[in-house]
Amino acid sequence: MSISTRAIASQRQADLPAASIPQSTRTAKGTALSISTVVIALLAWELIARHMHSVYVPSVTQIAITFWHEWFSPTFKEQAIPSLYRMFFGYIIAAVCGIALGVIIGSYRFMFRLLDPVLQYLRATPPTAIIPVGILLIGIGDWMKILVIAFGAFWPILINSADGARLVPRERLDTAKIFGLTSFETLIRVIVPSALPQIAAGLRTGLAIAFILIVVSEMIGSTNGLGYYILQAQRTFAIPEMYGGVVLLAILGFLLNTVFVFGESKVLAWHYGQTARTR
Amino acid sequence: MARQKLLQVNVPGIAFAIGCIIVFEITARLGWLTSYVPPPSIIFTALGQGIANGEISSQIGATLHSYFIGLALATALAVTLGILMGTYQPVFDAFKMIVEFMRPVPSVAMIPLAILFLGLGPQMRISVITYAAFWPLLISTLYGVRGIDPLALDVARNFGITGVHALWRVTLPSALTGIMTGFRVSATIALVVTITTELVAGNSGIGFYISQMEQANRLPPMYAAIILTGILGFLLNALFFQLDRRIVFWTPAAQDKPA
Repeated sequence: MSISTRAIASQRQADLPAASIPQSTRTAKGTALSISTVVIALLAWELIARHMHSVYVPSVTQIAITFWHEWFSPTFKEQAIPSLYRMFFGYIIAAVCGIALGVIIGSYRFMFRLLDPVLQYLRATPPTAIIPVGILLIGIGDWMKILVIAFGAFWPILINSADGARLVPRERLDTAKIFGLTSFETLIRVIVPSALPQIAAGLRTGLAIAFILIVVSEMIGSTNGLGYYILQAQRTFAIPEMYGGVVLLAILGFLLNTVFVFGESKVLAWHYGQTARTR
Repeated sequence: MARQKLLQVNVPGIAFAIGCIIVFEITARLGWLTSYVPPPSIIFTALGQGIANGEISSQIGATLHSYFIGLALATALAVTLGILMGTYQPVFDAFKMIVEFMRPVPSVAMIPLAILFLGLGPQMRISVITYAAFWPLLISTLYGVRGIDPLALDVARNFGITGVHALWRVTLPSALTGIMTGFRVSATIALVVTITTELVAGNSGIGFYISQMEQANRLPPMYAAIILTGILGFLLNALFFQLDRRIVFWTPAAQDKPA
């Protein structure tokens, strides 16, 4: 039994995207090389764009100027803030519900078996496919996006939390029993901390999905937000604005990921310490 | 023991799933839900009809076509770049910062850009799918290559296996477990992006069909197509799980399960 559990665990592990690329640029020369390729790429873009005079390819400076004008202005409050606020609201709902239900489902073997086929199916459904349903049932307001994001980010968080709780090492549960912990105490003091690395992995996948869903739900049914903004810019041939919007999304994505990885490393410092020691 | 358990069908699980559908059916029939949610029996009938008369089944072909081309392109590009970056430090240094900048861009943000250059056809979708599926594969290939036992490379060198031969005979097989992990992540993401691009700006495929049915207010076929995307995702997952086990057959996870 333990062997098959391991197989399932490693199968599930495959769903976790890596947090970052392995850091191994150590030399000053390496860093210089990294920076110079970026500079060369930007310069090449600038030169090609100026040479081509194409509407489709604005120069880097033009994009930068547009970016400055658009996003250091009330536009940021009108387009970016709604996106961020919907995303965080939906994500928080998904995280709270996903972790709570996931840990409970994972703690009871029978409940896990009961729900497993339904969960597997819902996880396999591309979350963006339910946006039309959201529009039909709720309309195109804020709540549609919040609920669609909550729904999409919920499954990876739930399934990872359930797996984490299910695969708590037997000894830890036995130790808790020997010390006479009640089942609620065991849940809070043993199962949740043991499942935390896996929960964090689920939260990271959920965050990536939430980010995709906010952009797409605003593209399909919205009157403001970043997804709406870039698609509208493309349709009205406001090309530098479109590039500027994509750059802003990239910066936001980068910041979100960085903040998340930083928080994860703080919360899970004990876990990394433990795994490093056993190696 | 383990084998028997896995071969067994999860009876309570499947019974629960069927129970859910029945409860859904009854509440929908009694009119307790909004009229926007038809009962499952009508949805499944619409799914059967759509597949039989080709209305839905023709869209499956379009979806799978761009899905597989995009995934294959991403695999070829990401594995090549990943192995080069993992093996040669200068290549790694040169691309590192570009990768760090490009990776966080949500793939769906590339849709307007792709429409601009490639229009609304399958090429646009394939380019976005390739972009989305590229990153997890690249990162996991890098991890795979970095994780190679240096001893293996030293032994190969002692036997005079160097350069391209060492890449082919030592680096690639060793990195394969990592690559397959990334491949499965990418395969999942690729399906989401395929459906999404069709939904936002397609002219064929299941996603396009969903948005068309929504606009035409033909709800049963719309729900049928959404359910179909889940079935497709489930089957593709199972397919790649099997593929994973066949390709990296020496890992413990692959050996556990009956072939």
